Amino acid sequence: MPARVADKLLYLLAAGILLLQLAACSEAPEGSESNTSGSVYRHSMDGAPRSLDPAQASSIYANMLVVNLYDTLYRYKYLARPYQLAPNLAEALPQVSSDGLIYTIRIRPGVYFVDDPAFPGSKGRVVTAEDFVYSLKRHFDPATRAQGAWLWQNRIVGLDQWKEDGSDYDREVPGLRALDEHTVQIQLISPFPQLTHTLAQGFSAIVPREAVQHYGREFPIHPVGSGPYQLEGFNSSSAVLLRNTKFRQQPFSLEEEGYDPETQSYAGLEHLEGKPPPFTDRVEVEFVAEDAARWNAFISGETDFIKVPVTQFDQVLSARDPPVLTAEMAEQFQLAANLESGFVHTDFNMDDRRIGYHPNPDQDARNKALRCAIIKAFDWQKRNEVFYYGIGKVFPGIIPPVSIEYDPAQNSGFNDRDLAGAKKLLRDSGWHAGNLPELEYGFPSSVTERQMFEQLRSFLADIDYPAEKIRPLTFATYGDYARAYLNREVMLTTIGWTMDYPDAENTMQLFYGPNSSPGSNSANYNNPEFNRLYRASATMPPSPMRTSMYRSMNRILLEDCVTISGIARTLILLWNRDLAMLPDRSFVGGFFFRFVDTGTGAAGSSKNEASRQ
Amino acid sequence: MKPLLRKLLQGLLLILGVTLISFLLMVWFGPDQTYTLIGKNASAEQIEQIHQQLGYDQPFFKRYLDYLASLATLDLGTSNASGEQVKKILMRTVPVSLALMIPGFILGNLLGIALGLSAASHHGQWRDRLISGLSVGGMSISFLVVIIAFQVLLSTPYGLDLFPVRGWQVSGFGSYLQYVTVPTLALVFVTLGYNTRFYRAVFIEESGKDHIRTARAYGASHTEILWKHVLKNSMVPIVTRVMFSIPLVVISGSLLIESYFGIPGIGLATFEAITSGDQPVLKAVVGLTAVAFVAIQVLSEMLYRLLDPRVS
Repeated sequence: MPARVADKLLYLLAAGILLLQLAACSEAPEGSESNTSGSVYRHSMDGAPRSLDPAQASSIYANMLVVNLYDTLYRYKYLARPYQLAPNLAEALPQVSSDGLIYTIRIRPGVYFVDDPAFPGSKGRVVTAEDFVYSLKRHFDPATRAQGAWLWQNRIVGLDQWKEDGSDYDREVPGLRALDEHTVQIQLISPFPQLTHTLAQGFSAIVPREAVQHYGREFPIHPVGSGPYQLEGFNSSSAVLLRNTKFRQQPFSLEEEGYDPETQSYAGLEHLEGKPPPFTDRVEVEFVAEDAARWNAFISGETDFIKVPVTQFDQVLSARDPPVLTAEMAEQFQLAANLESGFVHTDFNMDDRRIGYHPNPDQDARNKALRCAIIKAFDWQKRNEVFYYGIGKVFPGIIPPVSIEYDPAQNSGFNDRDLAGAKKLLRDSGWHAGNLPELEYGFPSSVTERQMFEQLRSFLADIDYPAEKIRPLTFATYGDYARAYLNREVMLTTIGWTMDYPDAENTMQLFYGPNSSPGSNSANYNNPEFNRLYRASATMPPSPMRTSMYRSMNRILLEDCVTISGIARTLILLWNRDLAMLPDRSFVGGFFFRFVDTGTGAAGSSKNEASRQ
Repeated sequence: MKPLLRKLLQGLLLILGVTLISFLLMVWFGPDQTYTLIGKNASAEQIEQIHQQLGYDQPFFKRYLDYLASLATLDLGTSNASGEQVKKILMRTVPVSLALMIPGFILGNLLGIALGLSAASHHGQWRDRLISGLSVGGMSISFLVVIIAFQVLLSTPYGLDLFPVRGWQVSGFGSYLQYVTVPTLALVFVTLGYNTRFYRAVFIEESGKDHIRTARAYGASHTEILWKHVLKNSMVPIVTRVMFSIPLVVISGSLLIESYFGIPGIGLATFEAITSGDQPVLKAVVGLTAVAFVAIQVLSEMLYRLLDPRVS
């Protein structure tokens, strides 16, 4: 029979596959807990960093790793909410002169960089004040391709001029000096109360000059820092961090970290009191952009932590407000439902005469009426329900709920759908289906973004905005989209803004006139009163008066109908019950890795009550 | 030798054509990496600075000639995203992709040949119809669905939970098999339909030729006909298909697999380079793929002569 040959071939192959499978099951993979000495925490992230150079740590993902590989002068307290600053490499919070212009910071002595071939004899040396000065200067050296310079631009005396003069590292900057081996002094041009916050960001992490020079262009993949971990491996799908055995021994204090037993006892952290972090020997970070793969890896126990994809919320939660885990999930996992430190908003391009500012006052008023009508037609409840599982927090304007300046009592009428009001506005301003302008809604190509566009189109259909006049403007990548809106080519731009520090100044600057595109004011909004208030409040330390000014600015913005805003997403974080930790994706960010304890889980404590209730 | 030289010359023209068109696409339609490299609140001057650093301000043909020179000297530059030398990226990722794809590639083709032979030898009967039907069914299922289904079925508590969901922590043959099995099965599942249909068609065509009929008339056994006449005389199309699949398997074929299984191979690196507009990496991958195609074309030409004396 001729078929016999083919059949034999098939049987042979099947037997081969079976043998391979048996052999596969006989050896545990490297890196699995069974053959890795010491404790391992396996973290998953929904994106990957491309560079581990602090000067390029602009993404959440890069920042997460950078603050573990390097030291920053300050960090955020692990447990305190609202977020509070704490000294990290600095000995204490800065001494600030009475005029708020001079900051003096003492660095802890005896802190060492990790051993690396970049140093003589490959032995890491002591971290000094000069290293901090050097690290900040790098942001103003064009060769670094730094992404954090905006934090200190026009803030520090002489730093911008230093760049103008050619970025010569051997030239001193008057406002950025090492007074001695362990003392830094920063002199500001004008008060900048958020300065200390900027020194808690990955951007300000301290790098040794020798390593930058030794590795040259490849420095971003050869981190040499003094943080709690050092890099063992890094590629496009994972990073492995090992405990820095030379990391300073500072005992963990629940009180100093802002521990609240009422709300945080479920995490089982008490036994860590007095022990020096990091508590885990090895951190494996998996970069998994695909929701399904990330979820599968978590549910099969390959990772210990996940930011749950919205598509899995149904499976994970038995109640939404507040989010509660299903009984089955609660047996295995812990839950934290954190509001993001930012918000999603859709801005009108005020530079576009079809919808924004117009030299003719009548047309200008009509454009404003049109924007206001669109805002009134926007159905936040539906947006929240469809895209954020109904657990996002809708709020009016640009002071997100995570910010201390947020006003929970503020009239949310701005976010209530008012179709009759919207139609009246259009009618009164002479708009009708025939003369309404074509709206161009820009977004980077993705199914979700497309669905959001279609939903907006359906909202506007309810005020008789012709569907054919609302056009999608799709871009292949986020970079293309950014190029378009930074060049003021997009009429409606949707942006998710993550705050850099817990101070609403960071969101106010998004609408400050001089920050117009290519700056972060992608709405190109320019209101003299808003600008005046911003300038006045920008130099003020936190106070009731400053909060009141922020809220006034928020109201101006709402009344000018510049942005459809906003919603802060609720992040559902799950982690293995055997771990003692409280994860954070916000300002604490990667700083929490050092406090993760895999040895003594919290499974036996009363912790799970919180997530079950 | 002459035809080989002609092939080589054609190959050089092909490389020029591919590199020129791909470079044109990168420059005119690819993402502008400037906007992923700038920070918040960048000034127009800072944007211009990055633009210049990336060489975007240079004339098109100068950039193209630099590209050709970099390919010729194998000085492929550094990634604009990570600063890593492109050569090192390739040396780090290509072996991973090969280790990942080769088992699936070999199995997919061998099974395809076996099933194709089986179907061809029962041409028109239920077995042929069954194999053809299953092949079409397999071809109709999206690769993405197959990957997720295999992940769920073989690697999670929802299924058998036998293999790792993702990763590539390979330390020996056993761990290699652990990580490669599910991607391989997914790859085999997806390619099997295409391979089987192709090989079946080749074998059926060969089976209907005069020399097979003559062999049958002379009383040759079915086994002899299948091995000695059908399979042997089908080697030219088989070799063509296998050889020309190699560059695609190494680069684009592994893109989805590497992405979903978290395997740090060249497919993932290429995908990231495409989405971020990392031109040094992209240029190297496209250029070297074109070179690989030409090399394979020449190699195939040599193999044809070896397999079929009629090829002159």
